[in-house]
Amino acid sequence: MNLEALTKAVGELDEEQVLAALKEFVAAGPTEEEAQQVVAACQAGMAIVGDLFEQGEYFVGDLIFAGELLTNAIEILKPVLGGTSSAKIGKIVLGTVAGDLHDIGKNIFKSMAEAAGFEVIDLGIDTPAAAFVEKVREIKPEIVGMSGVLTLALEAMKDTVDALKAAGLRDSVKVIIGGNPVTKEACEQIGADAFTTNAAEGVKICQRWVS
Amino acid sequence: MTDARARAEERTQLFRDLLKGKTPKRVPYSTAPAMEYVIQYAGYDLEKTLWTLKDLDKIYDKFCAEFLSDTNPVGTYRLPTFYQILGSKAFVMGSGGFMQHPEVVGLLPEEYDEFIASPYDCILNTILPRLYTALDAEPSQKALVLAKAYRAYLDDFGVIAAVRNKMHEKYGYAMLAAGFTIAPFDFIADFPRSFSGISIDIRRRPEKVLEACEAVTPLLVKKGKLPPSVEYGYIMIPLHMAPYMREKDFEKFYWPTFKKLVEELSANGHNCYLFIEQDWMRYLDYLNDLPENTIMRFEFGDPKLVKEKVGKKHIVSGLYPITLLQTGTKEQCVDKAKELMDILAPGGKYWFNYDKSVLTIDKEGRIADNLKAVTEYVYENGKY
Repeated sequence: MNLEALTKAVGELDEEQVLAALKEFVAAGPTEEEAQQVVAACQAGMAIVGDLFEQGEYFVGDLIFAGELLTNAIEILKPVLGGTSSAKIGKIVLGTVAGDLHDIGKNIFKSMAEAAGFEVIDLGIDTPAAAFVEKVREIKPEIVGMSGVLTLALEAMKDTVDALKAAGLRDSVKVIIGGNPVTKEACEQIGADAFTTNAAEGVKICQRWVS
Repeated sequence: MTDARARAEERTQLFRDLLKGKTPKRVPYSTAPAMEYVIQYAGYDLEKTLWTLKDLDKIYDKFCAEFLSDTNPVGTYRLPTFYQILGSKAFVMGSGGFMQHPEVVGLLPEEYDEFIASPYDCILNTILPRLYTALDAEPSQKALVLAKAYRAYLDDFGVIAAVRNKMHEKYGYAMLAAGFTIAPFDFIADFPRSFSGISIDIRRRPEKVLEACEAVTPLLVKKGKLPPSVEYGYIMIPLHMAPYMREKDFEKFYWPTFKKLVEELSANGHNCYLFIEQDWMRYLDYLNDLPENTIMRFEFGDPKLVKEKVGKKHIVSGLYPITLLQTGTKEQCVDKAKELMDILAPGGKYWFNYDKSVLTIDKEGRIADNLKAVTEYVYENGKY
């Protein structure tokens, strides 16, 4: 298995080539360790996708396709990955905030964060502040990610941060907000630690927080 | 002639000039709030009022008395009653009362051929019952559901039309006919295949996507056409997917059928009104290629670049960020209006409007105060 070529093919979103290479790899009966190396090569390809997105070569549609490609790749590798999953670098509780039903951006962030090695607990859409609080209390993540598209999402993000404060949990997590309406001013007003309108950048921020 | 009639005539003349590419007497102005904001501004419960439309005339009268606009502010696209009867998955109300369009899939990837063979039949038989679950029923039940939903639709929009007319009689707005349609690629994305689905399809089955766009174009032209008797009117086309695509994908999948749509509607003698969502600065040269006097309302972008690249041939609008109304001081808000007017108004072909509609009210009332200041500035300084 040429790992560099695999990483490159994932970066170029060449689905045919990636899937063909992986099927061939699995058919040869590799060890678990070899399979983990292949997963890492795919993840490195996703990092290239993120970089190309930041450089304006790729756009949101390409990120969606990249997520789909990675899901399929892992699906093919599953039989040879065994029961052991690779070590996670941190936990993120993620959701689209109350009142908002949009989840495309959230899902892109989720697949990129998972590709970067995070365990992501996805609370779905229209998530009440109380559901964030409950999940944070239960699983003690390093990071809380809130997403939204409508301008009203900013209010709901603030309510959620306030609820985390009231529950005494705010200081135990980093909070990142993302989506069309978020700005520096909104971030300060809400009391989040970081904001982004760019999923790839958001993942990098999270990586810095847990490194 | 009453004052309201005289005002309506003056305002209509602004748009007659604008739509035909002549410089109007002053910059035409449209206000920002959507119905959701107006309801809250009048102190009514949003969710309840969207269901009942009770007191909608009082609600709008308060707004119209306080906020100037050349176009009639009364109107909405989405109301919950008929969507509920239809069991809609395509438009649903969130917990705060706002109607939204979640990701939905009405057509499976393996069904492209069925769509391409006959889009109309496929929409009717396959897509609608998936997106509107109450239509997934025996023919007699389906007919009843459709009849009930259509009745609710007519009732609700009957109320809105009456309120619109009442405000017109009292405040005198420009009278313009308006149509509505959607770009072929956006249509395939928004209802049959979803944002995610189409983003995958253009790589896995590009030929099918192209054929589907071609196949649905005549229906969307038909949907947008205004009657030939309408002399002044526009056809609203909200644009969705292009900013999320690479240019080479845009050029191949999005642009050809969209251009055809705008050309056919324009050839019929009416202006297309593009609501250009997100950032289209990469595509300004394409946009400039559309028939003269297409109205282009931008959500984001550099006003200077817009004026230079499309502002000589087309009518430019939008670009005023509504978030500034919420976060800025009065002075900052007025400065922004001045900046946009200074760049975009010279030479005419400019319609002052905001980047999008204001949906939610703020507790401090800052949006309303800032909106009034901006309105006043535009009316005082917009004369040609």
